Parts: sequence; structure tokens; C-alpha cells
Amino acid sequence: MYEGPLQRLIDELSRLPGIGHKSAQRIAFHLLSIEDTDARRLGHSILDLRDQIGHCTRCFNVTANEECAICLDARRDESVVCVVERPQDIVVIERTNEYRGRYHVLGGSLSPIQGIGPDQLRIPELRRRVEEEQIREFIIATNPTMEGDATAMYLAREFKPLGIMVSRLASGLPVGGDLDYADELTLGRALVGRSEM
Amino acid sequence: MLRHDRGIVLRSYSFGEADRIVVLLSPHNGKLRTVAKGVRKTKSRIGGRLESFIDVDLVLYEGRNLDIINQVSIRNTHAGMRSELDRVTAASTMAEGVDAVAQEDEPSVALFELLSVGLSVLDTGPAHPDLVTAFLLQLAAVIGLAPSLDVCAGCGRDTGLDRFSFGAGGVVCESCRPDGAVRLRRGLTAYLSQLAGSDLHSLAPADDEFSGEAMGVVRRFMEFHLERRFSSLAVLGS
Repeated sequence: MYEGPLQRLIDELSRLPGIGHKSAQRIAFHLLSIEDTDARRLGHSILDLRDQIGHCTRCFNVTANEECAICLDARRDESVVCVVERPQDIVVIERTNEYRGRYHVLGGSLSPIQGIGPDQLRIPELRRRVEEEQIREFIIATNPTMEGDATAMYLAREFKPLGIMVSRLASGLPVGGDLDYADELTLGRALVGRSEM
Repeated sequence: MLRHDRGIVLRSYSFGEADRIVVLLSPHNGKLRTVAKGVRKTKSRIGGRLESFIDVDLVLYEGRNLDIINQVSIRNTHAGMRSELDRVTAASTMAEGVDAVAQEDEPSVALFELLSVGLSVLDTGPAHPDLVTAFLLQLAAVIGLAPSLDVCAGCGRDTGLDRFSFGAGGVVCESCRPDGAVRLRRGLTAYLSQLAGSDLHSLAPADDEFSGEAMGVVRRFMEFHLERRFSSLAVLGS
């Protein structure tokens, strides 16, 4: 047990994901040894994060403004919306440089067993966007898990009757992997979704 | 130390940077709570084998708190059911019910067989409207909670049984009727009794007059005795 602020910082750091007591103690002692300006910059970054970052009112990406940079970018195709579970997923898709449409962050996926239904996700907001914007296609990029698949099926069932084209990211073998290590479910999907050469 | 086991995945949730806690039902050891390391990474060799409702053979080694999954091979993916939301919801209710009653370190052969049959039925075609109702009634029987449907749960008489008491554990006669006993539609107890004794693979065609009410009664009965709500049924307004 350490004195006052040092122990308080260790306790707070230990509450962060992936950081145990030992790591928290190492980080706290590191912060004690660095320059005063560096420590203050870190402190201000945390405060600024809490004060300035919110969710885009249209797509629910994280942003420091009312709308995020992607929603404000007039060069992006507003008729195509990629539906993702979390804001972090947007960054991953942007890194591919293959997608020029917009996004919608659901805030999770349907999980019947955990009691997470459509109303706990941002599906009503997505329905509102369909009414207000000229959307013609959804690309559903939820995780390839049972919950992600259930979400995709629910969205297809709800939005296809409204004339929206609904597609799902392909599922299959990872680039650079060995075929004999693939599991049956993944390989089965890769076969179903094979493409013509 | 390494050991071999078998299990059906009931549910899983994220743990740490890229791990998952996977909860399975083993026929020999009941509920297994295990850790699958690194399975959320796309290059994981076992992640796809540990999705919900998959029946797997496992090689586990003992961790400090939870067993760690070392190898997995699939017995049955139950992939057919994943193509339809109603079937996924029905499977979720089955898994949720089993998860609520299964105990750790306790042989659960009958429970495992029941779940295995229920998932196989869902795998082969659209969900029968009474499948989940019949499954929950049979689940209650496996754990010794079967509602009394043919004789009064209080005195054992077999006439004048037009009310159902969740607390008393089944149909009751007028003189045994506790507060809160509900009046059932005539013929519903016979319908429930038939579902409780049916093979899940060959359920008789559903009767629209009884099907919804039968589900409501069984759901309330199970929720009363398990002291928990079925989240999966609430989610999609079933």
C-alpha cells in the first residue's frame, strides 16, 4: 500500500481493461518519474476526451463535433451505408481504402441470450435515416459471430421490404492462412461464397 | 494436466484483449466454464469452432481458475439453424434454459441429450411453433420440476382441474386452489400434456387455438421456478 495520490492512481489504473495491479503500479511509478509537462499533457488529454468527444448525431461515430468528418464529407456516396457494431470498426474499414460510402454504428449486436434486442441498439435511428436520407444500400459489417449474423438477418428482414438492398460482408479464409487449419464453418462459408475466376 | 471432454456451446463472451469465456454443457461434467485464448483474432484456428450451439470435442488443460481450451474439433456445427432468425431465437431459449439449470461438475447426460435433440430439430427445418414449449416442458421434467398436468398438484384428484398454479406446480382443483391460480382454456392441459410426452422430432401439427397460450403458461411456470426471465423470448417479442 502506497500513500494517498499514488495508491489512488494505482487503483484507478487497475480498473482499466487489460491492466492488472502489477501493470498499474509500473505505469504509476513511470508517471512519477517523467517530466511534469508530459504528465500534465496526459492528464489534459483524458479531460479533453471526456469534455470534447461525443457521438455523431447522424451515424454515432465518435467525433468532437456535432457530425463526424465522414458524414460531413460531400464526396462520399450517401446512398450506401455500412452498418457496423462499434466506432472502432469504421477505422478498420477505412484502412482498406475500398469503401467510399457512409456508416451507421449500432452500438453492439443482437444477442437474444443476453437480452439485447433491436431497441437496445441504434436500429430505430437507422430506420429514421432511411426515411430522411436517400439510402439505397446497406452493407452489413457486423462480426461473423452468431450475434452478428442474427443482427444481419434482422436488418435484412426489416429493411429489404422498404426497397433497400442489403448485403453482408463475405466470410471465408484469411489471407496468408493454411487451408488445413480452417474450421468447418468458415470453410463451408468460403465454399458457398466462392467467386468465379 | 490435459483432459478430454465434449460439449455444446451455450454462450460466450469477450474476455481481455482477444480471448473469450466459453460456457458449454458437457454430458459428463455438466456446465463447463472455459477460456479460449486469442479466438477473437481473425487468424485464430479455433474461433470458428466455438460459436454458440456447436457440438465439439475438446482438449482442455487446467488453468488457475478456469480450464483453458487447447484443441477443438467439431462434431456438429448446427449450421442450418443460423440462416433464420426465428431458429436462432429458439436455440437461444433452449441454451438459456439449459444454462439456468445445469450445474458444474455434475453429470448431465439427459440434459445434454435433450439439448442435442432440440438443436438437431432446429437444424433440419423451420421451427415448429410448439418446439420451444415442448422443449421447456421436457427440460422441467429432466430436472424434476415437471408440472402436474393430469392430476391436482395439491390432492391428486383427476377431475375439476381447470386452474393452473405456478407455485403449486401444475393444475389444481377448486378446493386446493391457492391465490394467483389462473383459469386455463378448456383442453389446454391435455395439449400441454401431449407436448410434454412428444418426441421433439415428430411433434403433432400445432393448434393455433392453444399454441400461444401454452407457450405463455410454460414460460411463466419456468420463470417462476428458475427465478429468472427468459431474455431471449423477451428480446424479439415472442
